[in-house]
Amino acid sequence: MAIAQGHVGHVSAPPATTVPAGLAGWLSTVDHKRIGIIYMLAAFVFFIIGGIEALLMRVQLGTPENTFLTPDFYNQLFTMHGTTMIFLAVMPMNVGLGNYVVPLMIGARDMAFPRLNAMSVWLFILGGLMLYFSFFAGGAPNVGWFAYAPLTQKPYSPTFGVDYWILGLLLTGVASIAGALNFIVTILNMRAPGLSLNRMPLFVWMQLIVGFILVFAFPALTVAQIELLFDRHFGTRFFVPSQGGDAVLWQHLFWFFGHPEVYILILPVMGIVSETLPTFSRKPIFGYAFVAFSGVAIGFLGFLVWAHHMFGVGLGPLANAFFAGASFLIAVPTGVKIFNWIATMYDGALSLTTSMLYSIGFIAMFIIGGLSGITLASPPVDLQQTDSYYVVAHLHYVLFGGSILGLFAGVFYWFPKVTGRMLDERLGKVQFWLMMISFNVTFFPMHIIGTDGMPRRIYTYESGMGWDLWNLVATVGAFLMAASVLLFLWNLMVSLRRGAPAGNDPWDAATLEWSVSSPPPPHNFDQIPVVHSRRPLWDHKYPEHAGDGHGASAPDPLVAGFEQPAIHLPSPTYHPLILGVGLTTLFFGILYSSIPPLSISLAVVGLALVAFAIVGWVRDSHKDSPYAAH
Amino acid sequence: MAHSSHPGRIGTANVGSLGVDSRKLGVWTFIGSEALFFAALITTYLVFAPVNMARADAQNPKEYLDIWLTSVLAALLLASSLTMVLALAAVRRGDMKLFRVWLLATVGLGFSFLGGQVYEFTELYHHGATLSSSLFGTTFFVLTGFHGTHVLIGAIWLLSVFFKVQRYPDSPETVMDVELGGLYWHFVDLVWVVIFTVIYLI
Amino acid sequence: MAGDLAHEAHESTRFYWMVGAVLAAVTIVEVAITFLPLPHELIVAVLMVLMVVKGAGVVMYFMHLKGDARILQAVFVVPFLLATVMILLFLLLFSQHVGIAG
Ligand code: HEM
Ligand SMILES: [Cu+2]
Repeated sequence: MAIAQGHVGHVSAPPATTVPAGLAGWLSTVDHKRIGIIYMLAAFVFFIIGGIEALLMRVQLGTPENTFLTPDFYNQLFTMHGTTMIFLAVMPMNVGLGNYVVPLMIGARDMAFPRLNAMSVWLFILGGLMLYFSFFAGGAPNVGWFAYAPLTQKPYSPTFGVDYWILGLLLTGVASIAGALNFIVTILNMRAPGLSLNRMPLFVWMQLIVGFILVFAFPALTVAQIELLFDRHFGTRFFVPSQGGDAVLWQHLFWFFGHPEVYILILPVMGIVSETLPTFSRKPIFGYAFVAFSGVAIGFLGFLVWAHHMFGVGLGPLANAFFAGASFLIAVPTGVKIFNWIATMYDGALSLTTSMLYSIGFIAMFIIGGLSGITLASPPVDLQQTDSYYVVAHLHYVLFGGSILGLFAGVFYWFPKVTGRMLDERLGKVQFWLMMISFNVTFFPMHIIGTDGMPRRIYTYESGMGWDLWNLVATVGAFLMAASVLLFLWNLMVSLRRGAPAGNDPWDAATLEWSVSSPPPPHNFDQIPVVHSRRPLWDHKYPEHAGDGHGASAPDPLVAGFEQPAIHLPSPTYHPLILGVGLTTLFFGILYSSIPPLSISLAVVGLALVAFAIVGWVRDSHKDSPYAAH
Repeated sequence: MAHSSHPGRIGTANVGSLGVDSRKLGVWTFIGSEALFFAALITTYLVFAPVNMARADAQNPKEYLDIWLTSVLAALLLASSLTMVLALAAVRRGDMKLFRVWLLATVGLGFSFLGGQVYEFTELYHHGATLSSSLFGTTFFVLTGFHGTHVLIGAIWLLSVFFKVQRYPDSPETVMDVELGGLYWHFVDLVWVVIFTVIYLI
Repeated sequence: MAGDLAHEAHESTRFYWMVGAVLAAVTIVEVAITFLPLPHELIVAVLMVLMVVKGAGVVMYFMHLKGDARILQAVFVVPFLLATVMILLFLLLFSQHVGIAG
């Protein structure tokens, strides 16, 4: 690749690109921006698919004793819906936004490991495709997204569905861990001069915390899945109670991962609104350090509350008390954040853009979800509510009202940076209100029918239980939500072509990504900026208020005060994609272990591809070594 | 083209804003993640150990595991850790000949360990301990088997370092390449230190 | 650029051999101790201590974590503590569980 030599105060020439055109350019890309876009597009597609699954379920539940779906297909749908939304929609959407924005926010030219980054995105997509392949290979998994034992054992789940669930998610798990390592190293080690941790944008802070949560939480899921795989394929008995195995161990391992996972889903979104709220309130965030450190506290405490998902097991008073206490405790840092956001808006010059509306909607809905969470954290209350629609209401208020609304805030905020065009604000606002209303129409009644005793995960119910009306209301609400998503899709397509040009900095924001063109050049920054405060771009635009607010004015961050590094971008390569395909093929081989010839040939091909990719990768890494002479 | 006098500036080379090598930070974090992976496997073993003994089909590990064979295995991995660090010391001195000797010795010791493990597994198999014979079999083979898999991955990692050094003898990244492969290798040894005590000795 | 670039002073080959010898000696003690007619609890306690000593030796001297950058120590020590907490908590949670499963 081209290398350009920079000098103090001199704009170095952008590197000549050797990126192949068209599809090849995307398949071989190692550019964090392109990878971020692939992540987001794929996540959006999975979001639509998961949404269609939800609509099918809502049709079935709209009226009592409905026969629209068979019981088994209904089971497949709720399993795939939950798994899709969590692992294939919200997580990768967070990762995609982070991928695009984090390096720009910290003044870096790419992620720390661009090839690993490419491998992550391909493994995520391939894992998702593998999971969905199950529909055509005998039936999708039908055991719920948490796949409790012993239902997952061969005698009760004889199709390959559970195996696809295990192996597909193992692939996305590898992707997630690799991606998280990449975020951790990038954020810790690639910051522009002066950008101390204490000045880092809160979105970056939250991505850093999520990175750590992820690398420490996922192994428990991986181990649980491997043990389950061995139970189903190789005759072990980890989760076979009739042979001494332990169904409760599965629950412990799963939720040891599962509760931290909900913070993996929500913390980046908390980071998003911690960027949008100050921008649209024209005020710095209130209590920066509190927002950052409450994130750390949440991440830490999140590892000690897992068994609040298991009160129904009857763990005993001591365990229940411990996990309930820890769960109540975790509401404190969560509440701290909420007060900080509200205080940020207080007395601010609010501009109610669509992004801002979504941010405010996020706060409101997340409060409701947080409150129902606190009620569930009390064992006696939970024993009444667990496995009822009340839990479904809770998790949708935090995951849809929280994560998805917050992600919309982020998408409306950063779309101009990614595409160079504004999303239509009028359509956006219509969509926002439609979404807010229909979301509550859909999910608020679930609190009521849940408290009335309607269990979750039933494919139908008898008339006359008092659930009919609210179920119908929820179904209507779900279709209105779908309409709102369609409106967004329409907005996307229209705005991509005819949206108003965005310019560098349409929101008059404070962070570095808005200092470069929209979309940014491949190398992001002609010059690496030097940061002197938490709001480098406001320093640049409003020097009279610059610095950390102590009166002393800071130098302009966009005028480099140090010898600029040479621009060095890694070359495009197919090896990460080949590695992903090889690993997926190998996993198919494991899945079909009961058919030795097929299994062995798939495994051999897969391993050969992996070996080929590793050799190529080593060569790439040598060729692109930042030290290598050219 | 001439190069910046700061190979370690942000965004260009491996040493970044924290003053550590990015790859090294990545490998250490990965090792942290792997620690939790093995923690979950060891947890499973320990949780099931008393259940195994309380059952009619109990298989007492004390009667199946051969302390002498395992001690040899422990010695092999320990020795490989020593040769690994000697290989790193050699490459740091620029002594490529000794480096090759020590690195290949490390890989050789690793494969001897794997050979010993295969022997151990077949012996156990002949004595009736299998994946499905008891909770002991279930937990023991999966835990030690995954450790063995990690030894294999470590050996492949080291071999790829070896070939990279052969192929690009004057790459400025050689020392770091060796150091990173070594870190992973020592970690695998570390896991064995724990498994050796917790599963074999206690 | 503290940390990596700074700590160019590396231990001598002899030092590594010594560490290796100590670790080997500890291993021999570990094995030997299991044959002594001591109470089981005592043996377990001693073994745990020796295990930690051995592990610490590998981490501090072979992996050079002693004196390495603080961040590297952190990203290793924190998950290791978490792993220990996990094992202990699970053992506690399952300590009354034998009856159900067995
Ligand atoms: C104030 C903090 C929170 C507390 C105290 C809390 C508490 C709980 C409790 C006790 C349950 C188990 C209910 C049961 O199954 O009986 C639960 C379920 C759940 N929570 Fe939360 N929660 C909180 C925040 C969140 C957040 C932020 C998210 C995600 C973004 C989330 C996602 C979920 C999900 C997905 C489930 C359902 C899991 C399942 O059974 O499928 N929660 N929560
Ligand atoms: Cu939870």
